[in-house]
Amino acid sequence: MKNKLMHLSNETMNVGFVKKVEALSGSSVRRCFQCGKCSAGCPMSAFMEHPPNRVVRLLQLGQGQRILAGRSIWYCASCETCTTRCPNKVDLAAIMDALRKLSWDADGPSKESYVQLANRLFIENIRTYGRQYELRLGAAFNMKSGQFLKDLMLGPKLISKGKLKMFHSKNKNIADIEGIFKRIEEMRKKGEAL
Amino acid sequence: MTPGKKRLSYSYYPGCSLHASGREYDISTRALFKALNVGLKEVPDWFCCGATPAHNVDELLSLSLCAKNLSLAEEVEGDLAVACAACFSRLKTTQHHLKEDDTKRKQVEVAIDGPAAINKPVKHILEILAREFGLARLEESVKKPLLGLKVASYYGCLLTRPPEVPELDDCEDPSIMEDLLRALGAEPVKWSHRMECCGANFTLSRPGVVLKLSNAILESARIAGADCIMVACPLCHGNLDIRQKEIKEAYGAPDSTLFGNIFGSELRGGSAPDQRDVPIFYVTQLAALAMGVASESLGFESVITDPKPLLRDKQLL
Repeated sequence: MKNKLMHLSNETMNVGFVKKVEALSGSSVRRCFQCGKCSAGCPMSAFMEHPPNRVVRLLQLGQGQRILAGRSIWYCASCETCTTRCPNKVDLAAIMDALRKLSWDADGPSKESYVQLANRLFIENIRTYGRQYELRLGAAFNMKSGQFLKDLMLGPKLISKGKLKMFHSKNKNIADIEGIFKRIEEMRKKGEAL
Repeated sequence: MTPGKKRLSYSYYPGCSLHASGREYDISTRALFKALNVGLKEVPDWFCCGATPAHNVDELLSLSLCAKNLSLAEEVEGDLAVACAACFSRLKTTQHHLKEDDTKRKQVEVAIDGPAAINKPVKHILEILAREFGLARLEESVKKPLLGLKVASYYGCLLTRPPEVPELDDCEDPSIMEDLLRALGAEPVKWSHRMECCGANFTLSRPGVVLKLSNAILESARIAGADCIMVACPLCHGNLDIRQKEIKEAYGAPDSTLFGNIFGSELRGGSAPDQRDVPIFYVTQLAALAMGVASESLGFESVITDPKPLLRDKQLL
């Protein structure tokens, strides 16, 4: 796909999507002049089919669907090197956040399901317990990803070292967290927040 | 210390890791502050800051969780001390965004059902030690200088990037950790990977990523002649310490087949690959050790890559 000739027209360009990305991230994609510093410094570009500078280029060309179809956005580590080094102040880390949110909301067609699963479980943990319950996080990830043996030897070791707690109690003000989740959902339903 | 100078005192947000996988960071932070006679009072009933997964897919949720924590912190006096680099980054990011963006602030205020309190200064342990307590005073308080200990100081990502958020040090060439090490009597080494990413939270979803990136960091520290690495983030510590054995197996283990046994060292130019264990210390563990705090109260028993042989070798235990 990446080397295929690209035909640009009103039909093949989704400009509305790019505007959404710009609104969510608060950063323009048009300021990028493709110097490539972001990709040069990116620790994760080796894992991506579209390195960071090409993600911005694809956005400039209205090709958001090509980005969402791949796994690049889910392999971004949010290390902020790109944003720090961009000479044109394109906030690429925020653009990556916006792209992930749009993919997430659309129940993304992305190939990368493990990272999404980990994110989902992490956020569920906050809603249920208030703080992270790391043992449950790891166990639920293994169950739901079907990798029952992943880090199997690590678990007991970490428990014996006191690094994983077997039991975890909920915050006593957990209702406040549920309130935050609910009110955000309501705002979105009413169209008052993205 | 000037007589009559007000005793430093902070409110404290430990974050989830410091109550679990990074417990020795919490233990040593408390021990160090006690030794330095600096007050530290935990914010009651704090929540998870949302870390990377929340802002990854839902910025509003991330900002709201942090805003809630900042308003909980208002109940405790003193600037907010944070040890975890990720919590520190998220709390500072939230303050930064809510100061600059009225729309976001209003949405967050609806979400947390109250005003957003964003003016309490949030400070990382490093800046409290090096700037507020002060390097000179720290140097005076040292009881057991870390002489001969060669340390690679590892900043990772979020302590310095993006520069307008943490406001901790230069975003490409910081020196706060090295300055601190010199004050403790240790010898900071020059090395290449102090600001590279360790693979962060991919440790759960894609550990292969962590093995590759953290291997490069450990390699670089060995090449620079470091005895150990100093970190200020529980996730960096987890990746470099807990996964160190696995990293060796994946990248550096000598070939144990018959062919490898006979020709292995030839292929490596006659020398065995450097496979030293590199113990990983939290900044507070090293600082507390130098202040003469008993090693038993610094959580060394929780560390996976055993630091005790190195400390005994340097006569620090």
